[in-house]
Amino acid sequence: MARHSARLARHDEAVIEFRDVSRRFVLRHESRASFQDWFIGLIRPRGKGEEFWALRDVSFSVRRGESLGVIGRNGAGKSTLLKLVTRILEPTSGKIAIHGRTHAMLELGAGFHPELSGRDNVYLNGSIYGFSRREMSERFDQIVEFAELERFIDTPVKHYSSGMFMRLGFSIAAHMDPDILVIDEVLAVGDASFQRKSHKALQDLKANGTTILFVSHNPEQVRGFCDRAVLLQHGQLVEFGPSDDVVDHYLRLLRGEETRVALHRVRVIDPLGAPVETANSGEDLGIEVLLRVPDGTSTGGLLLALDLHDQAGTHLFGNTAELPGELPLLDEFQGDTRRVRARIGGLPLAEGPLTVSVSLQRSSGGEIQLLDRQELEIYIISDTRRQRGILQLDHAWDWEMDGNTTGNPVETGLTFESRRPR
Amino acid sequence: MVSQAVELIHYRSLIRNLVAKDLKVRYKNSALGFLWSLLNPLLMMVVFTFVFTQLLDQNIPDFPVFVLAALLPWNWTATAITAGTTTLVDNAPLINKVYFPRHLLPISVVLSNMANFVLALPALFLFMAIFGLPFTAWILYLPVIVLVQAIFLAGLVFILAPLHVYFRDTIVLVEVGLMAWMFMTPIFYPIEAVAPNLAAWMYRINPLAAIVAEYRTILYHGGVPDPLFMARTGATAVLLLIAGYLLFTRLNRNVGEHL
Repeated sequence: MARHSARLARHDEAVIEFRDVSRRFVLRHESRASFQDWFIGLIRPRGKGEEFWALRDVSFSVRRGESLGVIGRNGAGKSTLLKLVTRILEPTSGKIAIHGRTHAMLELGAGFHPELSGRDNVYLNGSIYGFSRREMSERFDQIVEFAELERFIDTPVKHYSSGMFMRLGFSIAAHMDPDILVIDEVLAVGDASFQRKSHKALQDLKANGTTILFVSHNPEQVRGFCDRAVLLQHGQLVEFGPSDDVVDHYLRLLRGEETRVALHRVRVIDPLGAPVETANSGEDLGIEVLLRVPDGTSTGGLLLALDLHDQAGTHLFGNTAELPGELPLLDEFQGDTRRVRARIGGLPLAEGPLTVSVSLQRSSGGEIQLLDRQELEIYIISDTRRQRGILQLDHAWDWEMDGNTTGNPVETGLTFESRRPR
Repeated sequence: MVSQAVELIHYRSLIRNLVAKDLKVRYKNSALGFLWSLLNPLLMMVVFTFVFTQLLDQNIPDFPVFVLAALLPWNWTATAITAGTTTLVDNAPLINKVYFPRHLLPISVVLSNMANFVLALPALFLFMAIFGLPFTAWILYLPVIVLVQAIFLAGLVFILAPLHVYFRDTIVLVEVGLMAWMFMTPIFYPIEAVAPNLAAWMYRINPLAAIVAEYRTILYHGGVPDPLFMARTGATAVLLLIAGYLLFTRLNRNVGEHL
């Protein structure tokens, strides 16, 4: 099981480390959120929820004192990544190591109680982050001065303007001496002068060795403030490197230069080409991918990646194919659809759900960009009994009896059988 | 589990601040403030006294003290369980934005309602003095009963709070359950009014009946509490707390995505 650990960091050590981290959510179209629904469900069973991987096999590390930008479009997995760093969520698979005290500004003023005064809220907020009353008293004057709220500190925060509210939230966070500071789109706080001030406060923290994880929709902010950046798309890490390069890549994505080619449909099919939701262990598995490629666009340089994961998120198989420059059009669909099929021979997997994911990538100048991605789940059926593990291997048992080289196994209730791929 | 306990100690100032916040917010929004939380049990005491001594002509001496000694612990139970059941859902914005040990939320609900209970005790002492009931040294036993009740309530809230996250109508069932529980607990009638074999069962399946009986023994009867009886109730409460804590820890992992 993935575990978080907190220790003090040495210099040059990775303070945040993600290794093959995946996080799955179950989307329930009809939620069973009450006893009433639950009882109805007993009579009328409903389908299992649909799985959705918000992050898939993400690996990166951040060194002490470094600032890392996280960019990507809505739904790319940025928030999930932040919640994993801040321990609000736990990963489904993979390993996360965090060394040091983490402070998150996912929302300024989270945890403020409207009825309480600014003063009470400073202490309450401090204790939510594990600070004692004495530690907060030492910082109190600085916090109030930085937030420019000396006159209003004993007023209930429900009477604060939104700017005052945010200023107090930012000021508390900036005075917590965190080893790791996580910021989500909150730099645009207050008027221009407070923005300059908060920007400077972050620079000071960074100079003092605080590691900063910074999430923004604004690519230029990331370019200006971060040393390195990660670009997320469809839950996968597309690029991890110097922030200049990553931001450029993101801007190209935003301009839509790479979205004209897309996956149209991915299905698992039987040998006759009909779509299936289950497959038999030991038999061939077919995957049909329909691509949208506009007229006149070459498919050269496009890559199709096929990955298989089991229910626990274990990466079972992955392979990438380069597409030929010309793919024939399909008459049965709209004019720009092309078909690619993949076949996996004699699927050597034990019974259970299998997630098939297909990614469309483009390789240009040595770097690989993710253009599109789809995944679906099928169920592998196996008729081999008494099996453990995730693989179904071609196996046979034999032993010698009474000098014969082979004998029929004694009837022990075990049945041994093996299948060969056709 | 040890590291979790250490973490709870590290966050002790959060428990104090959450309790202080609950009390401040509760007393702030009304002109009478703290008096309201006294007035509620006192008014109920008046109603019960009228119904049982005037309308029903029950022959229980010093009825106001008799009922108040049970009513105050009952109010603590009812308010802690109602607020505790919804505490995770009520604090969803915080839970989804900040990491902190979520075990603290149920604990702080039980403690802030306990503070409310303790603050109302002087009113009970005042009525004891007015009706000339004896203050024996056994009143010093009061903190033990309070502790047992706090452990018992924390165990219950640890179970109900995550349940309400997954089944949002838990609170509706809890409210109905509380109503039934109130009648099944000897609050406005003496346990002696129940048939002896039924009373024994009542004590066995309802730890609160035992707790209320102990309050009444030392505060109303001026009698000696039964240590064995209390030890049994205490053991039940501790077991419930451990079970609740483990269930809470287990369900807590996925609570975030259901809020």
